[in-house]
Amino acid sequence: MKLSVNGVEHELDVEPEMPLLWALRDALGITGPKYGCGIAQCGACTVHVNGLAVRSCVLRVGDVQGPVTTIEGLGQADALHAVQAAWIEHQVAQCGYCQSGQIMAAAAFLAIQPEPTDEQIDRAMSANLCRCGTYTRIREVVHTAAAKLREA
Amino acid sequence: MAAHRYWLATLAVIVVAAFVHGPAVAADEGLAAWAKVNEVFSHPRCANCHVGADNLPIWSGPHYGSQPRPHGMHVDAGASRIGAENGLLCMSCHGPRNAEANHGPPGAHAWLLAPVSMQWSGRSSAEICAQIKDPQRNGGRALAEIADHVEHDALVGWGWAPGGDREAAPYSAVQAAGFLREWAGHGAPCPSP
Repeated sequence: MKLSVNGVEHELDVEPEMPLLWALRDALGITGPKYGCGIAQCGACTVHVNGLAVRSCVLRVGDVQGPVTTIEGLGQADALHAVQAAWIEHQVAQCGYCQSGQIMAAAAFLAIQPEPTDEQIDRAMSANLCRCGTYTRIREVVHTAAAKLREA
Repeated sequence: MAAHRYWLATLAVIVVAAFVHGPAVAADEGLAAWAKVNEVFSHPRCANCHVGADNLPIWSGPHYGSQPRPHGMHVDAGASRIGAENGLLCMSCHGPRNAEANHGPPGAHAWLLAPVSMQWSGRSSAEICAQIKDPQRNGGRALAEIADHVEHDALVGWGWAPGGDREAAPYSAVQAAGFLREWAGHGAPCPSP
């Protein structure tokens, strides 16, 4: 089957029932999306399909309809996405395991809601767990990134 | 002559009984059919997403403790009923198929809350009945169209195929549509509030 990931067309020889996360990590070697719970409870596997955040651990690769973007394709090293830049600025990461999913969720959220309130940020980001408890810094990141995206 | 009078009297009794008891019998049968419809609509598998203006879907079932509770992850589907306002769409987790694992997200071709006007959660049988009959609150549907909707809509049909160990709605889509048609055929009576 064909799968577009980060602007590159791939031809995959995998079963359509395979979770998208498996196809990304095991078949394509794209390891930014992480395996956390396997049942869409933690958000570590979040990627974009057609620009919308989805949990790649429960989405079958055969059901993907549209281009996939992972953390590897969200920005470039010399041109980070506003959320990635703010993530560094606020030094969010502790263990870092959740950050790929957090950043992808935040980027998709800001594309829908460019001027979020604290309440909206909490609603949008509460489905992405951080076992290090960096939630207050994540909220600051979203505000900072939102401001930068509005300036752009 | 006596026999003639007897048969006339019998016929009169039958005619009077039909007028007196006919509508009552129809109403009883209609209410019995409605009771089955309400059994389906008020079942948590259906009512958990037919919630009110708080826009909070409900979780319940043997894997969620004894009491229903709001959907986890601080989810709020918003007035859009798809989660658009808060940037977390229902379909971020609820994909096109059921996750079979307990606490994994069930799925269908689309995933959203029913409109607020169609709230069933926490509503009585009489309230749900009145809503179903009100075109202002039933999507502008005639009763026959509601039966067809229940029988054929894919997301409604998910209620009978929720996957995993999830408890399905009672009866079947075909049976539920049949109860609706039977209820409508008996004048669509509603129970007393």
